[in-house]
Amino acid sequence: MADVQDTIRERAAALLSSGEVSAVIGWGAGRFDDVRFPLVVKRAEDAGKLVFDASCVQMTAKRLLEHTGEGKVALVARGCESRAVNRFIADHQLTRDQVYVIGVPCPGMVDPATGETLKRCAECQVRNPVVHDELVGDPVPEPKPYRFAEVDRVEAMSREERRAFFDEMYGKCIRCYACRNACPCCTCRECFVEQDKVGWQGKAFNVNEARYYGMIRAFHTGDRCIECGECERACPMGLPLMVIMHQQVRDIDKLFGPYEGGGLTDSGPDPLRTYKTDDIEEFM
Amino acid sequence: MLLKKAKAGALLDAIAAKERLFVPADDRGTSRFVAYGAGVEPRFDLLNTKLPPKDLLFPATETLYRWSRDGADLAIDSAFAETDPFTVFGLRPCDMASVDRLDAVFLTKGYVDEFYQAKREAATFVVATCAHPGRACFCDSIAASPHEAPTADVLLEDAGEEWVVTPQTEKGASAVEAWKPYLEEGDAEPIKAACDLKVDMAAVPEKLKGMFDDPIWSDIGDQCLTCGTCTFVCPTCYCFNIDQDVREDEGKRFRCWDSCMFTDYTAMAGGHNPRASKESRVRQRFMHKLTYFNDRYDMNLCVGCGRCMRDCPAAVDISLIIDRIAASEPAQEKEAMAHA
Ligand code: SF4
Ligand code: SF4
Ligand code: SF4
Ligand code: SF4
Ligand code: SF4
Repeated sequence: MADVQDTIRERAAALLSSGEVSAVIGWGAGRFDDVRFPLVVKRAEDAGKLVFDASCVQMTAKRLLEHTGEGKVALVARGCESRAVNRFIADHQLTRDQVYVIGVPCPGMVDPATGETLKRCAECQVRNPVVHDELVGDPVPEPKPYRFAEVDRVEAMSREERRAFFDEMYGKCIRCYACRNACPCCTCRECFVEQDKVGWQGKAFNVNEARYYGMIRAFHTGDRCIECGECERACPMGLPLMVIMHQQVRDIDKLFGPYEGGGLTDSGPDPLRTYKTDDIEEFM
Repeated sequence: MLLKKAKAGALLDAIAAKERLFVPADDRGTSRFVAYGAGVEPRFDLLNTKLPPKDLLFPATETLYRWSRDGADLAIDSAFAETDPFTVFGLRPCDMASVDRLDAVFLTKGYVDEFYQAKREAATFVVATCAHPGRACFCDSIAASPHEAPTADVLLEDAGEEWVVTPQTEKGASAVEAWKPYLEEGDAEPIKAACDLKVDMAAVPEKLKGMFDDPIWSDIGDQCLTCGTCTFVCPTCYCFNIDQDVREDEGKRFRCWDSCMFTDYTAMAGGHNPRASKESRVRQRFMHKLTYFNDRYDMNLCVGCGRCMRDCPAAVDISLIIDRIAASEPAQEKEAMAHA
C-alpha cells in the first residue's frame, strides 16, 4: 500500500497546486501507528500528510458536503466512499462536476482493536470504486462475502428473543448521533431529532427514545443505504446497527428486487421512493 | 492494611449487604459502573471504564419536579429525594479528579445543586491506583496521577497481589474500620506507575486566550463529526438541558445530559445559533476544557483519562491538540511578526 500512498500524495499535490481542486479529503496519521483520521488537505505542501494503509478505518465521504461550494473537492475514494459519492449525487447533495474522485481499489482495513479485518470490510460487496476520475493502484478481486449471517441469526429468533436482542441493543445507545453524522444518507439540513418545536424526539435518555431514534433513522435511510457499515463502526457503544440495514436491503430485494444496495449508480433506483403510475397496487 | 485482591469478593459482598455498591464491570459489550449483585463480575483489571462514573452523581436523565392538574387544582411536587449511602469501589484516579471538577461546578461559587449534593454526600469513593496506565492515559501531566487520589475517601494502592489500603477522609476511616475482618496487617510496596503519554499544559490556558480565531479550529472541525461521543464518555463534561414530558393532565420536568457538540445545544428562540459552525462548536469544547474552566475554577476540565480519544469515531486526539496549542506562537507575537 506504500506505492498507493505515494501516488495519492503526488496526485493530491498536483491537483492542489494546479488549482483544479480546493481540497483533498483522505486520511492523516494519528499519534499511534494504528490510528488514522479523516484529513482535509488544502495546501499542496500538506499533501505529504496524507496516509493510506490498513488503519484507514473511517468512511470519510461525509466531509465532502462541508467543502463543496469552495471549488471542486477531491476525495480519495475506495468502494464505500465512491458509493457515497453516487449517493450524494442521487440525493442532489452535489453534482458530479463538484467532486474529483481519486479511486483506490481497497484491500480491506484492519480493526485495531482485534487485529482482524474490520467488520465493515469483511461484509463489503464493492471494494473497487464504482465511480472515479482516476484510479490509483490495480483493481482488486471482489469476494462478495455473505453479509446476512447476523440477519439470519436474528430472523431465526423467537419473538421474545428478538425483543430481548433489540432491548439490549438500544439499551446501550447513548444517542450521541455519531451513526447519523457519519452516514452518507443522513444529509437532512435539519434532522428530525433536532426539530424541537415538533418534538419528535424526546430528550430523555432511555431505551424507548433510543429505539425510536434508531428505527426512524433506519427507515429514513432504508432504500438509500450504501451498506458502508460506517454507522456501526462509528458507534462508540458497539450497537450491531448493520443487522437492521442489511435486513432492509434484503427485504427490499425480496419485495421489489433485484436490489443490491444503494449508491451503485448515481441515479438510484431507490425502491421505496420510486413509483409507477401503472403500479399493480390499486392505491397508486 | 492490606486487601488481598483474591479476597476482594468477600469484602464486596459485605459492603453490598449494607448499602448500594458500584463496581467497574462489563455491560453488554461495554463497561461502566454497575450495581454489584448476583452475576456481576467486577473488572478491576480494566483501566478506566468505557462510560465514566459521572452518572452516579449526575444521572443522564433526572426528574426535577412533577406536576398534575385536576380541574382547576394544580399540584407541583419536587422530585428531590435524599440518597441512601452508597460506595463506588475501584474507580481510577482520573475519575476521582473528575469528581473534584463536578464538585466545583455543582457545589461552589454561590450555588449548591441539591440534587447533586444529596448524591455526593451519600457517596464513598474507593479509588484503586493504576499499575499499568494505558497508552491513551495522560492524567499525570494534566490533572492527576496514576498512583495518587488525594480526595478519595479510601485509596487502594496497587501492589500486585494486594492493595495497600489507606483511608483519607473521615468517611473513609469509618469504612475501613468496618472492612477490618477482610483486611490483613502488613506492608507491601505500592507500584508507582507513570503515564507514557505526556502533555505540556504550562502555557496552554494562557495561549488559548489569543487563539479564538486560530486555524486550528477549522482543522479540527474538518476532522470532527460533531457527535456527542466525546462529551458523553468524558467524566467531567457536565452540560445539561432541561426539558419536559407533558401529558394531558400531568407532566414532569427533567434535566438530561447535553453536548456542546450538538447544533441544537446553542439554538436560540427566534432561530439564531451563535455556534452554528462545526469549528465554533469544536473550539468551545477545547476552550472550555483547557482555559475557560481554569479561569473560573483554577483547574483543567480535562483529567487525562483518554476516553474521548479512544472512542472518537474520527480519532480526534485531545493530546495532539494540546501539543499543537503548546507549540503555537502566541497571538501577540504573531501580530508583532506580521508587522515586522
Ligand atoms: S452511534 Fe451508537 S450510541 Fe451513538 S446514537 Fe448511534 S447507535 Fe446510539
Ligand atoms: S446507514 Fe447505511 S449508508 Fe448510512 S452509515 Fe450505515 S451502512 Fe453506511
Ligand atoms: S471529537 Fe470525535 S467524539 Fe467528539 S464530537 Fe468530534 S467526532 Fe464526535
Ligand atoms: S476531555 Fe477526554 S481525556 Fe479529558 S477528561 Fe474528558 S474524556 Fe478524558
Ligand atoms: S488516566 Fe491515569 S488514573 Fe486514569 S486510568 Fe489512566 S493511569 Fe489511571
